[in-house]
Amino acid sequence: MKTIKKLLSNDAVFVAIVSSVLSLLVGAVIILLLGKNPLTAYVNLLQGSGLLPKGKYGGGQSMLTDFVSFVDAWTPMIFAALSFAVAMKAGLFNIGISGQMLAAGFISTVFIGYSGLNAFAAKPLVILTGIVVGALAGSVIGWLKYRFNINEVVSSIMINYIFVFVVSFFINTRYLDHVSRRSREVSAASRLTLHQFEIGGYRYDIPLGFGLALLAAVAVGFLFNRTVLGYEIKAVGLNRVSAEYSGINSKRTIFVAMALSGALAGLSGVTYYLGRYASIGPRVLPQTGFNSIAVSILGNNAPFGILFSSFFIEIIGKGSAYMSSRSGLDTEIASIITALILLSSACSAYYLSLRESFRSRRKADG
Amino acid sequence: MMNDMTGEEIIVEMRGITKKFPGIVANDDVSISIKKGEIFAILGENGAGKSTLMSILYGMYEPDSGEIFIRGKKETISSPNYASSLNIGMVHQHFMLVSDYTIAENIILGTEPGAKALGFIPFVDMKRAEREVKELSEEYGLSVDPGMIISEAPVSVRQRVEILKMLYRKAEILIFDEPTAVLTPQEIESLLNIIKNLRDGGKTVILITHKLDEIKKVADRCAILQRGRLMGVLDVPSTDTSTMVKLMVGREMDLAVEKGPFTPGKEVLKVEDLTVKNSDGVTLVNDVSFTVHSGEIFAIAGVSGNGQTEIADAVAGLLKASSGRITLNGVDITGSSIRKRVETGLSYVPEDRHNVGMILDLELRDALIIRKYYLPPFQNNGILNRAEAETYADRLIEDYDIRCSRGGETVTRSMSGGNQQKAIIAREIDMDRELAVFVQPTRGLDVGAINHIHRQIVRERDRGKAILLISLELDEVMALADTIGVIYSGRMEKIAGADKLSPHDVGEYMMGVGKK
Repeated sequence: MKTIKKLLSNDAVFVAIVSSVLSLLVGAVIILLLGKNPLTAYVNLLQGSGLLPKGKYGGGQSMLTDFVSFVDAWTPMIFAALSFAVAMKAGLFNIGISGQMLAAGFISTVFIGYSGLNAFAAKPLVILTGIVVGALAGSVIGWLKYRFNINEVVSSIMINYIFVFVVSFFINTRYLDHVSRRSREVSAASRLTLHQFEIGGYRYDIPLGFGLALLAAVAVGFLFNRTVLGYEIKAVGLNRVSAEYSGINSKRTIFVAMALSGALAGLSGVTYYLGRYASIGPRVLPQTGFNSIAVSILGNNAPFGILFSSFFIEIIGKGSAYMSSRSGLDTEIASIITALILLSSACSAYYLSLRESFRSRRKADG
Repeated sequence: MMNDMTGEEIIVEMRGITKKFPGIVANDDVSISIKKGEIFAILGENGAGKSTLMSILYGMYEPDSGEIFIRGKKETISSPNYASSLNIGMVHQHFMLVSDYTIAENIILGTEPGAKALGFIPFVDMKRAEREVKELSEEYGLSVDPGMIISEAPVSVRQRVEILKMLYRKAEILIFDEPTAVLTPQEIESLLNIIKNLRDGGKTVILITHKLDEIKKVADRCAILQRGRLMGVLDVPSTDTSTMVKLMVGREMDLAVEKGPFTPGKEVLKVEDLTVKNSDGVTLVNDVSFTVHSGEIFAIAGVSGNGQTEIADAVAGLLKASSGRITLNGVDITGSSIRKRVETGLSYVPEDRHNVGMILDLELRDALIIRKYYLPPFQNNGILNRAEAETYADRLIEDYDIRCSRGGETVTRSMSGGNQQKAIIAREIDMDRELAVFVQPTRGLDVGAINHIHRQIVRERDRGKAILLISLELDEVMALADTIGVIYSGRMEKIAGADKLSPHDVGEYMMGVGKK
């Protein structure tokens, strides 16, 4: 009880819990209005993510295979949310994560996914390409900010468009699979997910990038707590004028932070397009890139907060298909709940002031 | 109410106005009465309470005690809107205009003349608005082009727009808050003529200023405030400026600090022909030269906004010099980066401690290493040494008496202003640079903190540092300086040894009426 109380007194944890609960409640009202039982819907979400047992399983499937698939979907989300957090620490709103994911996924697909290299060469190369292409894509935004002081929100939205249409053009003209209407599948050797890998009669989608995602979370935490670069990024993000007065080159710092953010987005892109999936759908940006904003904000832009919040939001995302098939609710309900979380976590100052006035009233009464 | 000795109508009367802010009495039992159709000036140093008094009249603050009578009727002015309904208008120091709107649109904003198209669709009658604005501007000699976009209008035109805005709202009592601070000498001349025209047209003008020559030129009477108290109301034509200066600044010194003998050493900072312009091309610092030696406190005195902070920013590298040369320890640093300057021998306590001097959301231990984090022992191969930062913070907290609730882990925002400033000064002094620049180091602090900081500045000077002190407080300048430079509208009016200048002399130079 004491530890719970202590945890709740942490502002970030308090805000995350209040906004999650509030969003689930509002979501429940919406589900009720649609004439369904919200409790079963939420249980379905957990079942779909392999956190609760389903009534029955198909061949080669179990609660564990569901959970492993859930982790497969969770992995790119962790990278993407870390990407957002790194930019946010520097005071930048990287809304271009989706585009950076797509760019990294596409280049890796074309040059390595279709190359016929063996697994030992291909997998590390995919990761490396993802990092490099993502970093470059992020740097463009950082450079525009550095050189011309162009607002990163505007430039990254525009660059998202450029990436999505350029990639679509190449897919449609050169790499199209005429049956799936997506890009041709990449080789199994290059995939970062061991697809339908059989162990003891069960078939798993094993995410090889998951360990890397955990490592990245630790690394980002280390960056901000212990390194010179992290200190500079934080200083610039908190107060650019004061950072400059102190002698920090804020423009260069912003550029570096964007490159780092892009590199993480690139990792998200390859674990998404060459991991969870093996192909790219033309003319769409991955929703993960946008949801990562909600995840990162809910996790207070802190690596360990992000691990929790991404876990939570991915349950809603991943479980929505099962919920839809079981209770007949549209999968969009999941997006609505995610959107509600983003909306309500943006009201953090309000919750904190409510708590403050509640506390002072209690003090006055007692 | 209607009777003054001359029998003229008293339009504004403020009786026994007192207004306190935390730690300061901005107005202390101030009573003034202003006649209809006069130019009434309010004179005082920075922080004397001029703007507060007028903000009360304009409904932006409520007085703690005191009464206001407008045209003989007691009023509680609760908002600027209400003040406006009493025909009171104010031109603020910082203009409040919509920069993407035209001049006419700005003037009518909030009181747009309406019309109905086809008899029922309401729209703003811009033709009528532009015509009215034109008529109004001709009536008072305030020529503006009603169709011009504000962002393209020069500062003097924007000010005219503010004046027209008041007139359009039928203001009879016009308050000007430091109207000439942003203008060139020619523009000042024309503004003063406009103000005279307004009076001759029957308006009552209240002019807040600290420039004596302007008061001499236009004002009929003038009230002098000093530290929130009314020192007197003078008839301007029959009073000489020397008397006014005495009332403004003449007072007991209560800030005496013990200093060792003045033994200047080698030249540390040399500023030659420094000129600084802002992005609009307005000259803020005009061809300024001076030298600071080791063991010397060189103080720049002046009224706020005359270019002194820009000198400090140019020396520290926050602003670019348009021309001139800055030499530190024999190295030309005119074009150097901020970090290069710091490494060459500069420390800098800036004027704005909240937005510039310190990142308030950092913990104290992180805020204290911001000048040194990239150097060993605070880092090694890019990895910060947290233990070192902690020890360092503990030492500074101890040595400089920084009061903080949770030691190095205190978030600096939660500390008091005085302790934030102590932390900044500790951080800068501890770098042990040859030149220390202090801008307004004691602004807003209580007497205890002020004394503490003054002693530290003097100790640094006695240790052979060169100190450049920029202060708006004449007391502070007189108490600390070995050499005084007085700045007035971007120019260094006078440089002399502190023993050769009386506060009265400095005051005159500050007001731009000193002997050449």
